[in-house]
Amino acid sequence: MLSNYRQGWHFLIAAGLIIATIVIVLIIPAGDLAAHGVILEYTQNSSVEITARYDYGEPMSGAQVAVFAPGSPSEPWLTGTCDDSGKFSFVPDTQIPGLWEVQVRQAGHGDIIRIQISEGSAGPSGAGGFTTAQKIIMAAAVIWGLVGTALFFTRRRA
Amino acid sequence: MSLNKNTPGKIIIALKKYGIVFAIATLLVTVLLVSGFGCKSDAKPAAEESGAIAETGTLAFVANGEDFVREGMSSKESWNISFDHAYITLADIKAYQTDPPYDTGQGWDFEYKEMVELAGKFTVDLASPDADPAPVRQADNVPAGHYNAISWTMARADSGPSEGYALLIVGTGEKDGEIINFSLGFEQEVAYLGGDYIGDVRKGILNPGGSAEIEMTFHFDHLFGTDEEDADDPMNLDALGFAPLAEIAAGDSVEVSMSSLSKLLDPGVFGLIEKILLHFGHVGEGHCLAKYIN
Repeated sequence: MLSNYRQGWHFLIAAGLIIATIVIVLIIPAGDLAAHGVILEYTQNSSVEITARYDYGEPMSGAQVAVFAPGSPSEPWLTGTCDDSGKFSFVPDTQIPGLWEVQVRQAGHGDIIRIQISEGSAGPSGAGGFTTAQKIIMAAAVIWGLVGTALFFTRRRA
Repeated sequence: MSLNKNTPGKIIIALKKYGIVFAIATLLVTVLLVSGFGCKSDAKPAAEESGAIAETGTLAFVANGEDFVREGMSSKESWNISFDHAYITLADIKAYQTDPPYDTGQGWDFEYKEMVELAGKFTVDLASPDADPAPVRQADNVPAGHYNAISWTMARADSGPSEGYALLIVGTGEKDGEIINFSLGFEQEVAYLGGDYIGDVRKGILNPGGSAEIEMTFHFDHLFGTDEEDADDPMNLDALGFAPLAEIAAGDSVEVSMSSLSKLLDPGVFGLIEKILLHFGHVGEGHCLAKYIN
């Protein structure tokens, strides 16, 4: 009885760790930047996702976006518009490491958010800004953990 | 350990016995990979990569009231306003190269690499058709680089047509055949500090041997509102509009200052003006920190 109870807690802990790890890998809040009028935030995953909203909460749907790569502050590397929820995603060229700038503006309001990109941190096929070797190791580690946990709970009681 | 046909079975038994340990250990490794290895950038900011720039150029300080004040505007209550003059006096003007780039979230204290200062007070008429933008003063032989912050004071003029006022707006409002001539003066001095220019082009980027503009921008739609936006748009809700001026007009004209408005307007309406001045100054479309002085 007590052993089953402990096994249940072990399972919950292991499952919780796995879920937490996946959440950490997939959703890395990379910082925020706020100014009066416009609030810009971003997350960096396989791509950089900008979220733009006014300080009273409304998303900046349709806002103009200009992305500037390091070393070229005058010429946009990419332009576009936010979607209905005020989001805009792009994949930076990791061959141009440094401080990337993203300007979002609409109807006389705007701001710039700056994102540090290191070489190989967020490539077109990247996930969470990791190298291919890191991704393989992490995938293997998660699978290994799942197998180990499963076998632990399927063992025969002595 | 020698391998034989029983090795896989031994591994499975070990996994069954210590599986939870393996699971936790591997997950910890994963978390370490996520948090510590390869994710943090060690890249230097672009400005550092490019190295210190010793050469110089010309930095032109300009002020801009935008099309609203040059071409006229329609207030939030659809009063058509045309402007004869919008005199603004600027002082303590300083442009900065900051690295990391200044953001208003940092507050009033920040560090800079280079600073260019204009001594004196400068009065410009933002309503002039030629004020697109209005030149304030040009600074020659200043260090090249990215001027990504600017501070200034909207200060009372010591002389000239707007003497005694930091901002003097003169014009005409018209609605449904009713015409009101107005003169609206603001004595209150306000200090502004903003970051990088926000707009359809970048400004403040001075290449060696070249020239660049750095702009102080003033949003008149924050004062009068605009019927281009919904009536319940937050900016319109916070704007004075033109109707309160029309209501206190004597005949077809109203000539008021901030001090007289404090007596003539409902305290709630006058309170709008006090807030508006803090949101009046911008850098392009980027908001500034602002505070009353003097």
